[in-house]
Parts: sequence; structure tokens; C-alpha cells
Amino acid sequence: MRKTLSLIAACGIVNSVNAADLTVYTYDSFVSEWGPGPQLEATFEAHCQCDIEFIAVDDGISILNRVRIEQDKTKADILLGLDDSLTEITRKEGLIQPHGIKLDTLKTDLNWHDPNFIPYDYGFFSFVYNSDKVSEPAVSLKELIDSDASVIYQDPRTSTPGQGLMLWVKAVYGNQAPAAWKQLATHTVTVTKGWWEAYSMFLEGDADYVLSYNTSPAYHVIIQDKPQYKAALFNEGHIAQIEVAAISKYSKNPDLAKQFLQFLISPEAQSVIPTTNWMLPVINNIELPAVFDTLIAPKRIGFTPKEIAKKRKKWLREWRSTAN
Amino acid sequence: MRLHWLAYSFVLGLTVLSFYGLISFGNESLDTSLLQDSYFYSILGFTLKQALISAVLSVGLAIPIARALYFLPHLPYKKLFLAFCLLCFVTPTLIVITGLVALLGRSGFLTPWLNTLSDNHWNIYGMSGILIAHVFMNMPLAVRIIYLELQSIPETSWKLASQLKLNKADCFRIVEWPTLRNTSILLLCFIFVLCFNSFAVVLALGGGPQSTTLEVAIYQALKYDFNIPEALTLAWTQLIVAGGLYWLISRFGSLSWKNVDSSRNVWRPKKGTISIQASKVMYGLAWIILLLPFVSLIPGLLDSKLSRPDIQAISRAAAVSIGLAIIAATLAMSIAYALLHPIRQAAMGAKLKRLWLLESVATHTLISPAMVLSVGLYIFLLPRIDIEQWGIVFVILLNTALVIPFAVKKLKPRLLQFDQQYNRLARSLKLNRRTLWRIEWPFIKEIYLATFGLVLVLALGDVAIFSIFGTTEWTTLPWLIYGYASSYRIAEASAASFILLILCALFLFLLEKLVHKKLALRPLMNQKLTDEKQHKEGDTHA
Repeated sequence: MRKTLSLIAACGIVNSVNAADLTVYTYDSFVSEWGPGPQLEATFEAHCQCDIEFIAVDDGISILNRVRIEQDKTKADILLGLDDSLTEITRKEGLIQPHGIKLDTLKTDLNWHDPNFIPYDYGFFSFVYNSDKVSEPAVSLKELIDSDASVIYQDPRTSTPGQGLMLWVKAVYGNQAPAAWKQLATHTVTVTKGWWEAYSMFLEGDADYVLSYNTSPAYHVIIQDKPQYKAALFNEGHIAQIEVAAISKYSKNPDLAKQFLQFLISPEAQSVIPTTNWMLPVINNIELPAVFDTLIAPKRIGFTPKEIAKKRKKWLREWRSTAN
Repeated sequence: MRLHWLAYSFVLGLTVLSFYGLISFGNESLDTSLLQDSYFYSILGFTLKQALISAVLSVGLAIPIARALYFLPHLPYKKLFLAFCLLCFVTPTLIVITGLVALLGRSGFLTPWLNTLSDNHWNIYGMSGILIAHVFMNMPLAVRIIYLELQSIPETSWKLASQLKLNKADCFRIVEWPTLRNTSILLLCFIFVLCFNSFAVVLALGGGPQSTTLEVAIYQALKYDFNIPEALTLAWTQLIVAGGLYWLISRFGSLSWKNVDSSRNVWRPKKGTISIQASKVMYGLAWIILLLPFVSLIPGLLDSKLSRPDIQAISRAAAVSIGLAIIAATLAMSIAYALLHPIRQAAMGAKLKRLWLLESVATHTLISPAMVLSVGLYIFLLPRIDIEQWGIVFVILLNTALVIPFAVKKLKPRLLQFDQQYNRLARSLKLNRRTLWRIEWPFIKEIYLATFGLVLVLALGDVAIFSIFGTTEWTTLPWLIYGYASSYRIAEASAASFILLILCALFLFLLEKLVHKKLALRPLMNQKLTDEKQHKEGDTHA
């Protein structure tokens, strides 16, 4: 053991000598071999003649928790992988600084004016179905909830899509949400801890609909050549999940950090993200595989990050007492 | 040699540091308002209920199967079955969930048949799914332990019973029941604690928010709400409730984790033809039931075509996993041995209170919530060390800490047995430590190796700790599976799961094989002792 320790310590010393110019905290799948991380790193490093390092944690919320614990001792220059439901909390904790980047290249639909966060991709929470099995999909959330089609979704206490559905029901039903949850519960197969458990149960054929993203079908077409999986377009509109990045308040290299954020919304980076992170680009005129044109393009509804931060707890309580 | 106290400081230190980490963070105190929330009581109630039913079912079903194994000593593939039982116990939960859904889910292989039987009311999701999964994982362990416990009934008891012409019921009541009762109660408590801490299975198969365990609430409080006071309140509740039960366990004595002995030809009463046939059928059914969820994974497996980079990633992750698990298992075995030293002293001195106290400390990580332990330590360490460099060390250390209770529980009976048989002799011969070890080692070797296999495989399946302390360059196989699964690559995930399963099986079967090879050498041990004695005498004479 002592040998192992000293070996690891030795590696550590070498590492700290080569400390990167820019450290980015992100989530695991972003930097996996098939994620956007490796390509973005190579392209940006060629631009800036610098060294960037990704540090990956479990998921978006873990990025926030980590910088919360570290406070001024954080290594992060950039937090990449939070989503719009977390922006308000992060701001309140005073962990980030303004980015000072012009946002006029972003898609106007996003309506993004946040002084601290830069969006780098987005998607709409959607119910995905197998068109070989479901020939006439529901056209509204109300129709789905009133139907008897089997549904799998994720727990809003433990997953982002689950929280998305909670907001969705709240946006569509308002005060009637408890009745809607009760109705949905009558044909809910199960509620899982995370996205993949739900999605793999759906692929095993355990439900007609699974809560996922409007971009999910693109994966099945591009990687698996399976066109039968489709996302249902609901006429009330959908809740968007916008993934964002920000500069840490304690960054030692804020100029380079700003350059990186600028790079994230450049056409170069934006054309990598859709087919590696399976989300939509935040700027227009990005050339994408044809299947992206066939994806549903829902109307966006929902709440501001401020409202979510304020009411999330109350809504969670409402969900857990009625969705039985 | 103060090594054993170092071992105690290690296990206790990790827990203390992690609670210190949580409590000191922003000087948070407990959130007692939670104790007035009906939600809290409903999840506590549900946690208790599912854990209790799971434990009763697992043990209740295990008893007839274990008896079938016991009364029919010549069943085919019995050793393989017992090893397989261990595999079911250590199989990572994500594999169990996938297997059960493929088998019993809405499009499962058995579902059409179950629907005919139940008039289309079959539904795995809900309490039934939770129970099926828990029984699948824990019942085999119970079978194994009860069977090995039954084997310890002395031959003379059976002979006496047959001479006294006791009828079947009396035979059961007088000969078997005293053994069965003790083991069953301990197993009930043990399985109860394991199911009490269950999380992913409960959420995935539970069917909705009505199926929420305390562990889910801790996860939510720590991760999503970052509400440390609430998490602490929940953690203390869990410690008190699970710890209370644990206290019961220790009062009833301790569970012995015996090893499969080579089939000694112990005389057992012959059973009637009907009961022999029934036992055979039960044995066959047990095989089928335990195999089916694994078999149902195969079609999904055939569907997956692994690319070269995938194979490289999987083999690399497998190598890392094996390396980490071997280090963690080695550490756990050494620490467990050191922890047992004062326990053995206490046992020899018949100091029962001391023994109980030491054992509670040594095995307390069994009941403390793993999530709290790792997050608390994470909070404590994050501002103090560079987690990217040292994280992997803590992956190893925490895994070590979590498997130590299993190692302690398995090694203890054998070591106490050794002390009982040889301690006086060894002392009267004034054997030095090294010589004593040379006698002790052959005595404990088989159990030591088998336990090593068990804790190795338990450490091999870890994701919870890795998700907090792990770094990308040290990606383990279970973590890679989650990585695949969370980016739609479900076919690759199932292939990688299968490889993980095969690795687990390989380790368990290999070590079990090794143990039996060694067992054949067992008579040598007594010979050795005589040799030592002569050697020693020779020394003193010279």
C-alpha cells in the first residue's frame, strides 16, 4: 500500500507541475470518448495555444455542489453543464462572475439575456414512443394524461427530466396539477431514479411512452439506423432544458475563460455538440445530419429560473403526495 | 504490535471524519422539523415494511431449499449451486434490474405466461417487483448459510433421534430447529438491514413515489437539495433504526459465514420417496429461478456489436476494476484480521461486553448509510487535498471500509474456533508469533481465501463511491456501464454488464475451487502441529 501511495503521490507531483491553464468542471458523459469533450478540447487548444483540463463529476448538480463545498479553494475556471433550473441557485451562492459576452448570435427563441451564464445546447423534454407500436401518438399532455397509455418517467427528486415533467405539468395544469398527477399515476408503469433506467425499460418494451428529449430519435437514426423511435409533439408546448456554462468567481484566468465561453457558442463548437451530446445547437445555420430536420420543434413554455428556485420544494411536495 | 488499534482507528476514523465533514460544513445542526413531517414517517414506514417482508420471504423460502440440499447429499452440481448462490448475492443491482425487467417486465419472456395465470393482472412494478429483486439477491445467501449451518448438526444427534424413534415433526423440532432458529433470526436481521438500505432497486421497480426508502430521501437531501441538516437527521434515523436491529443481532450471537466443506459423509436420516422427489423438484426449481434473470440478458447481449474502441475501453476499465478491487480486498482482509485480534482476546477471556463493543465498532459500516459516509468524507477532504490526485485512494479506502464487516463476520468464527482448539496448547508450548502463525494459517487459509473472493467481488461492483471520488482516467467497469447507459448505448452497457458478471463469477468459482484443492491437504495440518511441537522441543533441548 505504501508503495502505491508513493507512486500516486509521485504522479501527483508531476501533475501539479503541469497544471492546466484552464480548468473546466463538467459532467462525465461530456468528456467521455463519445462525448463532445475530446473534440472541443483539441480544437480550442489549437486556437489558444494553451492547455485545458476537464474535471468530470457525476452530473450537473454535482458540479454545483462541488464548487459550493470548495468555495474560494476551487480549481475551476469554468463550470460547464449546469442547466437553467440551477442558474438562480448558483448565482445566489455567489460562485460565478459576469461573462461580458455579446449574446446576439444566439437563436432568438432562446430569449437568453443572462449576464452570468452562456447556453451551449438545449433540448425539449418530450415523451418518446415506438411508432411501430403506437400508431396515433397523443398530441397534447392532457391527452396523454387522460389516456391509458403506459408511461415511464423519472423521479423529480433525483433527476433532471423528472423535474422537467414536474414543471411541465405545473405549466399546463396550474392548480389542477394534483388531479393530473393522480390521473397519470393510474397508467404510470414506474418512476425511476435516473434517465437511463427509464429509457432502457422503455427499450425493453415496458411502456408506450418514456420521458426523454425531443432529440432522442436522432441518436436512434444516426447510430442505430432505427427510425421507429419518435418524440410526441404536444400542442400546449414543451419545457426546455438549456445547458449552460459560467466563469467561476475564483478563476485565475478569467480572460481565457471568457475566450472558452465565446468558443462554446462559435459555429465550430456548435457543430460538434449536437451529434455528441445529442442536444440542439444554440445558434442558427449549423449544418447537421438530415435527421435533425425531422425532429419536432415544440413551442417553449415554462417558468423563469427565479420562479423555479422559489417554488421547487412546494411542487415536489405536491408531486410526492399525489402521484401515487 | 499496536496494529490492531490502528485498524480500529481506521474504521472509526473514516466515520468520524465524514460526520465531522457534514456537521462542520457551515456549522449545520439537525433539522428536527423533519420529524414533524408526515412524509418522513410514511417513508420510514415503507422502508421498514419492504425490508421486513423481503427478509421474511428470503429466509422463509431459503429454509426448505437448504433442507433439500442437506438431506440429499448427492444432488448433482451442488457445489456449483452454492457458489452460484454467492454470485446472486453480489451481482450489481443494475444487472439484477435489467435481468428481471427482461424476464418479468411488460414485454418479458415470462410475462405472457404470468398474465394467463393471473388473468392479465401481472405487474412487476410495485411491491412485487421490489420483493422479487430483494428475494432474488438475498434468498440464495440465506440458502447457503442455512445449509452450512445445518451441516454443523452433529451426526450423533441424528443417530440418537433415530434410536429414540422420533417422528418427523419431533425430529425437526428437537434436532434441526435449535440450529435453524438461531441462524434464521440472524439472517432475518442481516437481510433486513441490507434491504433497509436498498435504493436503486426500490426506485426502479417500485412504481412511484409511494415506494421511497430513507436512502432515497438521503440521496435527495444531499445531492439535489444540498440540505445537510435534513440529510443528517435522516442519517441519524437510519443509524438508530438499523443500528437498533444490529444490536439485536449481536445479542443473539453472531452469524457464522461458513464455507463449503468437502462433502463429509455424515449420516443423515433417510427421507421418504415423496419427500426426496419433492426436494429434488425444489432444487431444480431453485436452479431455474436463479438462472432465468441471467439467461434473459443474453438476447440483448447478442444484439450488441462492440467496436474496437469499446472493447479497449471495456478491457481497460475491467483491468482498473480488478486492480482496485484486489487492493481493497487485500486491505480489507488485513484490517479485518487486525480488528479481530482484540475480539479474539476478549472471547478467550470471556469478556462478553467488550467483545460486543469491539465487534460493533469493527462492523459498524454495515449499517451507516454509504452515501453519508462518502459525501461527508468528500466535504471534509475537498478543501484539504487535491481530489483529482487522491480521489482514487479514497475510492479504495472507502470500498475497503464498506466490505470490512463482511470480512470480519466471515473470519471470526474460524479464528475463534482456532483459539478454542489450539490456544492452550500453543501457550503451553510457548510458541512464538511466527510459529503460531504457521499453524494458524493452514487452519484459516480456506476461509480466508473464500472471504477474499467475496469482498473482492463486492468491491468490484461499486458505483456509489466511485461516483463521488472517481476520476475519468481511473474509470471502472461498473462506472463505464453507467457511462454507456447514460448516453443511449444500452447494448454496449449490457455487454459490459455481462463481462462484469463473468468476472464476478470467475473470481468466486476460482477461489472456491482453490479452497477445495487446499482442503484436501487438511489432514497435514495436525501433522504440522506435531512437527512444530517436536521442533520446539528440539530447540529447548539444544
